[in-house]
Amino acid sequence: MSDETTTRHDGADRARQEAQQRRLDAAWETPKGWRYWSAVNNTEVGVWYTATSFLFFLFAGALALLMRAQLAVPDNGLVSAPLYNQAFTLHGTAMMFLFAVPIFEAVAILLLPTMLAARDLPFPRLSAYGYWCFLIGGIFVCGSIFFNAAPDAGWFMYPPLTTDTRITGIGADVWLLGLSFIEVASIAAAVELIVGVLKCRPPGMRINTIPLYCWYVLIVAGMILFAFPPLIAGDILFELERLAGWPFFDPKRGGDPVLWQHLFWIFGHPEVYIVFLPSIALLAMIIPTFARRPIVGYSWIVLAAVGTGFLSFGLWVHHMFTIGLPAISIGFFSAASTAVAIPTGVQIFVFIATMLAGRVTASTPMLFAAGSLAIFVVGGLTGVMVAIAPFDWQAHDSYFVVAHLHYVLIGGMLLPLFAGAYYYFPLMTARKLSDRLARWVFWLMFAGFNIAFLPMHLSGLRGMPRRIFTYPGGMGLDWLNLASSAGAAIFAAGVLLFTWDAAWGWRRRANAERNPWGAGTLEWLNPLPQPSCGVRSVPGIASRYPLWDDPDLPRRVDEGREYLPDAEEGLRETLVTSVLDAGPIQCLRVPGPSFLPMVAAILTGAVFILTTFHLYWSGLVFGVAALFAILAWLWTGTAMVPEKQAKDVGHGTRLPLYSSGPHSVGWWAMFITMTGDMTAFASLLFAYFYYWTILPVFPPLDAAGAPLGPGLLWPGLALAASLSAWGLMLWARRQNAAGRAGGLRLGLLLSALLAAGSAAAMLMGPWQAGLQPETHSYPAAVWVLLLWAAAHYAAGIVMQLYAVARSLAGKLTREHDIDIQNIVLYWHFAAITGHVTLATVALFPLLA
Amino acid sequence: MARHGRFRSAGGMMRLKLGGCRGRALLALPVLAGCSGAQSALDPAGFEADAVARLFWIMLGAAALLWVAVLGLARYAARPRQEPWRHRSAGRLILWCGAIGPTLLLCGLLVHSLLLMPALRAPGGPLRVEVQGEQFWWRVRYHPPGGGPPVESANALRLPVGQRVELRLTSPDVIHSFWVPALAGKMDMIPGRTNRLVLEPSRTGLFRGACAEFCGASHALMAFTVEVMEPAAFQRWLAEEGRPAAAPAGEGAALFLKNGCGACHTVRGTPAAGRVGPDLTHLASRPTLGAGILDNTRANREHFITHPREIKPSALMPGFGMLPEGEIAAIAAWLGRLQ
Amino acid sequence: MLIYNRKHADLWTLLAPPAIWAIHFLVCYAAAAIACAKAEDIFAGLGGLRILILVVTLLALALIAVAGLQARRHWGFGTDDPPYEQPTADVRQHFLGYATLLLCALSFVSVVFVALPALTIADCR
Repeated sequence: MSDETTTRHDGADRARQEAQQRRLDAAWETPKGWRYWSAVNNTEVGVWYTATSFLFFLFAGALALLMRAQLAVPDNGLVSAPLYNQAFTLHGTAMMFLFAVPIFEAVAILLLPTMLAARDLPFPRLSAYGYWCFLIGGIFVCGSIFFNAAPDAGWFMYPPLTTDTRITGIGADVWLLGLSFIEVASIAAAVELIVGVLKCRPPGMRINTIPLYCWYVLIVAGMILFAFPPLIAGDILFELERLAGWPFFDPKRGGDPVLWQHLFWIFGHPEVYIVFLPSIALLAMIIPTFARRPIVGYSWIVLAAVGTGFLSFGLWVHHMFTIGLPAISIGFFSAASTAVAIPTGVQIFVFIATMLAGRVTASTPMLFAAGSLAIFVVGGLTGVMVAIAPFDWQAHDSYFVVAHLHYVLIGGMLLPLFAGAYYYFPLMTARKLSDRLARWVFWLMFAGFNIAFLPMHLSGLRGMPRRIFTYPGGMGLDWLNLASSAGAAIFAAGVLLFTWDAAWGWRRRANAERNPWGAGTLEWLNPLPQPSCGVRSVPGIASRYPLWDDPDLPRRVDEGREYLPDAEEGLRETLVTSVLDAGPIQCLRVPGPSFLPMVAAILTGAVFILTTFHLYWSGLVFGVAALFAILAWLWTGTAMVPEKQAKDVGHGTRLPLYSSGPHSVGWWAMFITMTGDMTAFASLLFAYFYYWTILPVFPPLDAAGAPLGPGLLWPGLALAASLSAWGLMLWARRQNAAGRAGGLRLGLLLSALLAAGSAAAMLMGPWQAGLQPETHSYPAAVWVLLLWAAAHYAAGIVMQLYAVARSLAGKLTREHDIDIQNIVLYWHFAAITGHVTLATVALFPLLA
Repeated sequence: MARHGRFRSAGGMMRLKLGGCRGRALLALPVLAGCSGAQSALDPAGFEADAVARLFWIMLGAAALLWVAVLGLARYAARPRQEPWRHRSAGRLILWCGAIGPTLLLCGLLVHSLLLMPALRAPGGPLRVEVQGEQFWWRVRYHPPGGGPPVESANALRLPVGQRVELRLTSPDVIHSFWVPALAGKMDMIPGRTNRLVLEPSRTGLFRGACAEFCGASHALMAFTVEVMEPAAFQRWLAEEGRPAAAPAGEGAALFLKNGCGACHTVRGTPAAGRVGPDLTHLASRPTLGAGILDNTRANREHFITHPREIKPSALMPGFGMLPEGEIAAIAAWLGRLQ
Repeated sequence: MLIYNRKHADLWTLLAPPAIWAIHFLVCYAAAAIACAKAEDIFAGLGGLRILILVVTLLALALIAVAGLQARRHWGFGTDDPPYEQPTADVRQHFLGYATLLLCALSFVSVVFVALPALTIADCR
């Protein structure tokens, strides 16, 4: 080939590449002006999410300073008891629900696609919806303190203090409804992240080569799915007691306040690991980079993450060691609490081993990592101490535990997060944060933290209980508390310095070069600042550290020689791959900017807020509006029928543009969501059987001496109708597969009719039997189970009608059957819920 | 701001109380070096607190060694070195130091604690005491060994040294937690349940306990005293405590009844038989007032009668500030004679 | 069967050993909670419960051992050393086998830990 042809060829190639780049940029362009807020892409939503949760962190920190000011000297009169109680309640609540969990989701939404060289997560509008829910709920909960209406009974909300509306005012409702709303958003994010890790990896990134961060995200999102629903179930019982007087936690009417403690801590303990693991995951990315070698013990990290994920569900009672449980029960939880230290120890030694096997270069992220190790190891060791029940009987609810939990959370969560912030800042802004200021930030935070929290171990053992707004002098607590308060102020100075640098300081610095830390993982593949489309083309991956092992990779990616280098149709596309081996299976079209998620979030938020103020009718109106907003969003943004069956995505690979059933991301999302839903259902069932264990007679006897119950007739009818409705759904799906749209619609409508009949019959049972939920925990438990099942049938009916409309609009056909596949999947879960409920409420009274 | 001012005055009262506590310790209870150890788990005066304090010091020593070892290793790992460790050696470090070592250590610790737990909860002796936590004070009822009518008291507990005493803990309103760090760990008081806690004081002295579970606005102000006595002295005291009030009549008593105090408080030997608030039959024999927060002086009694909610936010007792000062003084003086 | 004769390791075989731990844990906890909630005398011996826990524990340990044998087979009987990072189906299988084997060890130890209270505590005090 002559030089001239090469040049001409190169020229044509460059022109083609530039045209591709232009089309990609146009498809992924961030909206301008006021429409900016309609963005749904992970890079925008991730940044909003991170910034918002950091602001809530600052707010909760300010409350902590208020508390420390009050406790600086004994018998202080600075802060009144009611304000102090609101402050500590909101401090814990905001730190946990508005900072620790959301910041994990925020960072994961931001980082995951870049680590997987994906253009976006599979459900961008869901992320946006989750963000807006979080923002509205967070402002609602935090804002309440400015109206002296904040929750004031601790972030754990123990009844009967909190169910007694004479003692606790609207603050408790703000907590319950505001946070339920945010929990729903958290579960939405978890679903998105699980599907993201499992299905949206770059081709060839097998399960043994995914970045460690993704392993952690997968485990943690799975934990959210099993940890949050029990709390939501608990919230439902709690609100029913507060608003309607159903006595779930009232011992005078067969309830038990301890049930709430179980439901709360089944959530609350895994929660600690839910916030801890993602931060450790950041260290698992940072340490290999600065040790200049791949991680040693990749499999050990998988062991540690999976092991911790499971074991963390066997620890919840260690928050309840002093409620008077038998020693043998305490023993099981004490054993699990000690066992969980094993995977945690493994995690730490994996990092040390990696450093030993590499050549460590000093850097700001490593400084924070080292500080985190020093603090977290203390927290871990005191954690083993409090896992030992006899010691916990002294330490529980004392300042020793306050010290312990802050050592764990600040050492295990906050400092690694700061390390991550310094490490990943260039990815967001193309600039590094100041190393010089970072030293100040670190030493202020590190010294301040230890001055504040080390003395608390001693205050606790000297008898200082938690959650006290004042303490007497002369008990050996004076100097310890003064030191704690001074330390808190120093720590706050460090945080403020960081805030200044992250908000303004960086703007004055020069751009960082590409891959500024010399890392080996894919998130550093893109030029900085990152283009809005993410990667120029999606590379095939053959190693854990592709940037180290394949130096030519950035060039091939930049020149668009890998997968999906173009957006010919001007649409947003990303790849879907198989779970274990990441073989490409679909080219997924993801929806672009829209205000619908924001509108839907505002309407949903209004439902929760209006319910808080007992405005039920207007709440209902907004509920219907929210439903329609969500349906409109689904109609316009999901299961879109493509203009062609398949397209070429590069490397001679042709992928379908539409897939349904287990191949599609939507099916997975439904499956995962319903798994979480089943966990909530299991929690309600647990409540029912829990009453059986604690009450001498359950169900209680009626006047004639027979056990109360909904009888067999109505539940039997409900079961028959429900079985037919379920069968008709399967029939409808078969009709559709055979191309008979009429049969599909007929099946859906008949099934909806039967489902409605079944739901009505379910509720007729206790109604006819005269079970009054305010009188006793038994009828209340029966009603709540049946209402739960009936509500699922109602939601299922909405879906069936939606599917009929989709079929009439030609969006649900034989080839394009995502909707019917997912709705049938939903009905499997709904039917299991209904049938188990009916069997329990109808048959258990006969056995007991 | 007015509210803050009121709290400050309550705070001033609390300082008074601690002065009193220290004075009392020096006069009557030379065992206590001062009040700083009265509520300390590290200054144990009971069987359980002893065992746990010993366990704590051992765990602390081991934890300190482990912390130094891990951090030392990390420091070493971060240093530049000629020859990085081989992958295989690094893997062995994870196996032995990360997995196997901790497993063995934890197993030993766990077994120790599992053996300790049943020993700490062994059955109690013949004396039983019921303690009921209420917002924000403690109702105490002694069941003397060998039967006999129960003896009612409040906000101060007395125990015989060297004897195992079983406490029955309940609550009628919200969850409280009974904690005397110098004697034993805490145990919650939960509505609808009766929990047991066995105390075995090992030396005499005056100790302080507190509510350890958040129970409302005045949670921080819900404390009590525990006086551990020689068994003979305890027996004498218990017999005394069971008798009616020492000064059943007089001007103060008449005013107490006239103003309706008896609707909530009991003073045995007088018509006052209320069950809502603390039993006051032998109020003067208690070291503190308002559930362990004020020294039991006449001035403090007057202050509490006139402004209970300034001292304890959300307390049930209404203020009697509308009464003439003379009447308040007379009631407070009479209460001071109820030995 | 998930833990016995699966040809290929996957995420389900990886999660099976800790899931066995979880079920064992729940059975022990629920059995003890019910036994003690219904017990008249907290100092009466819990013979039946402790035997039940012993049986459940032996069963759980046996199942974990079986899962461990399968994992060892998926691991290629250790013919291949870590770090298991090559992008081939074989190495992926070895990796999953190795990680599952580690999880079997952790689950085994955790089951033993959880069974210890039944050994040292004889009643509902």
